[in-house]
Amino acid sequence: MGSSLEGRSIVVTGSGRGIGAEIAKLIGVQGGNVIVNDPGVNVDGSGTDNAPAEEVAQEIRAAGGNAIANFDTVATADGGENMITQCVEEFGRIDGIVHVAGILRDRMIFNMTEEEWDDVVAVHLTGLFNVVKPASILFRQQRFGRIIGFSSGSGMNGNTGQANYGAAKAGITGGIRCAARDLGRYGVTSNAICPGAATRMTATVPDAARDLRSSQGIQGQERAESIVNQLRAGSYVAPMVGYLLTDQAWNVNGKCFNVSGGQVSLSSDEVPYRSINKAGMWELDELQALVPSNLMSGLRNPAPPPADLSIPGRLVG
Amino acid sequence: MGVLDGKVAVVTGSGRGIGRGIAMKFAAQGASVIINDPGVNVDGSGHDAGPADQVVDEIKALGGQAAANYDSVAEMAGGENMVKQAVDAFGKIDILVNTAGILRDRMIFNMSQEEWDDVIAVHLKGHFSTIKPASILMRQQRYGRIINFSSSSGTIGNTGQFNYGAAKSGIAGLGRVVAKDLGRYGVTCNIIAPGAGTRMTATVPDSARELRAGSGIQGAASNAPVQESAYAGLRDPEFVAPMVTYLCSDDAWDINGWVFNVSGGSISVSRYPVAERSIFKPGHWTLPELDDAVQNVLMKDIDNPAPPRDDIEVPGRDIAARVLS
Repeated sequence: MGSSLEGRSIVVTGSGRGIGAEIAKLIGVQGGNVIVNDPGVNVDGSGTDNAPAEEVAQEIRAAGGNAIANFDTVATADGGENMITQCVEEFGRIDGIVHVAGILRDRMIFNMTEEEWDDVVAVHLTGLFNVVKPASILFRQQRFGRIIGFSSGSGMNGNTGQANYGAAKAGITGGIRCAARDLGRYGVTSNAICPGAATRMTATVPDAARDLRSSQGIQGQERAESIVNQLRAGSYVAPMVGYLLTDQAWNVNGKCFNVSGGQVSLSSDEVPYRSINKAGMWELDELQALVPSNLMSGLRNPAPPPADLSIPGRLVG
Repeated sequence: MGVLDGKVAVVTGSGRGIGRGIAMKFAAQGASVIINDPGVNVDGSGHDAGPADQVVDEIKALGGQAAANYDSVAEMAGGENMVKQAVDAFGKIDILVNTAGILRDRMIFNMSQEEWDDVIAVHLKGHFSTIKPASILMRQQRYGRIINFSSSSGTIGNTGQFNYGAAKSGIAGLGRVVAKDLGRYGVTCNIIAPGAGTRMTATVPDSARELRAGSGIQGAASNAPVQESAYAGLRDPEFVAPMVTYLCSDDAWDINGWVFNVSGGSISVSRYPVAERSIFKPGHWTLPELDDAVQNVLMKDIDNPAPPRDDIEVPGRDIAARVLS
């Protein structure tokens, strides 16, 4: 048994299944104490079931680790506070919060309901606030803490039919970047993970949808035709999260990491790529000339209109 | 003859600041504009029909077409109302610009549930509440332009803005998805991260910028006080309007899903996040292996934007630099 997280107490939301469960188990194996949070909902957020969290907690204990199940939802302030409180009451302190919990309600923007929007934003994004807020108070006081949020390539690159999920996931990256700047000076780090893994959640995206997207020329999340593709188990995401929780990672802060299979990438910040400058106000005719030829040269429309659609402006220039 | 002749636009939060500059430019280029602004204070409190009315009067005095709307984008009904008003008053909606926003800055450990909820409601749900109804009509007519307003506070990060940064980064994410959902229907959606001196940025005191710089915390943009910045003379909110107008013109039909940083006369396009560096192992990493590879390859010479203060004990800080095995 490893000891990289000996004495550390960590809450992992959504750890009854998938990537979260693998993270919780790794923390247990590394000597840490873990609150296994999972209300056991379906992928769309409906229903509740204590079994997933209980089973993971039991599995960790059977392997000699310390784990306790929690069934609160991160979508409410009370739920977030409860799991932080439970960690402190059971283990005496809290050292880290890993927010993996999430649901999916995919729908094209023009068909998406208010409820589909609200529910997804509540679990992912407000869920991040609901756990980070109470944890950050304690982290700041004890001058130590680890915050790990789960973002997604769907938010950072955009994916069809996921306006709610993409907004929430990109928002998590933004929130993490701000938390990193609020808390870094107190010895707390905040980082984001964009995972690539085959889980119950990704299984809801039919291959037919992927095929449809590619046949219509819409760029989707790429499934790399590489060895990485054979390594899509959720367990591959856990080591990098475990590492970020260790003392050794004290100076890794405010970053987003893509983790899929054995590949870990540092994602670039959303920095300017190319610019045009004028010491004054731009005129429209200047922009009409410079934007296509210079600023946007070679940058493709990720979802171009079909050739048979009449597009005002398409024949211009 | 303007580049927006015959177009109908809704501009949220256009009673003041950047939104007002865009609305004025749109009208000057021939568009009919719904001037939406409930006239709230920067923190979202209060209500005043004055700002929207005043912009409508100015546009009409210059010979343009405009109508005022005072709904809040924080409610679905508000977003639906202003889209409906565009159709009722001017026959259709071609352009939607989401500029409305509020600020409730607070360090994360002091931020209240209300401060979180209100900022997310106006910015993030405020984009959904207008885009949803507009997208139905734009898809049907096979034409549309949507502009979202993000911020470097979200795309880069900023102290004391967990709510605002999350919302603004989320807005960029939303825009990238909307671009893909609607691109094939002749609709574009792009995102602006503006830099301008407005009522909103005026609430950030110079002392806060100095404090950040003094503590070694990287802010979203320059840590320098506004008046000393290189763009000091170019921070009028009107400077954001030309690029927004261009993106809403027919010429820009193939520009879709991008984030543009616009500040004064500087316009840049942000790259989608790319894998800057990678480490790979054909199997599960162990933690000691990651310690090696992360310290010596993945994160080598990469800055911590807010390093821990020198006077606090940081577990791990005293571990000597590891050598790549």
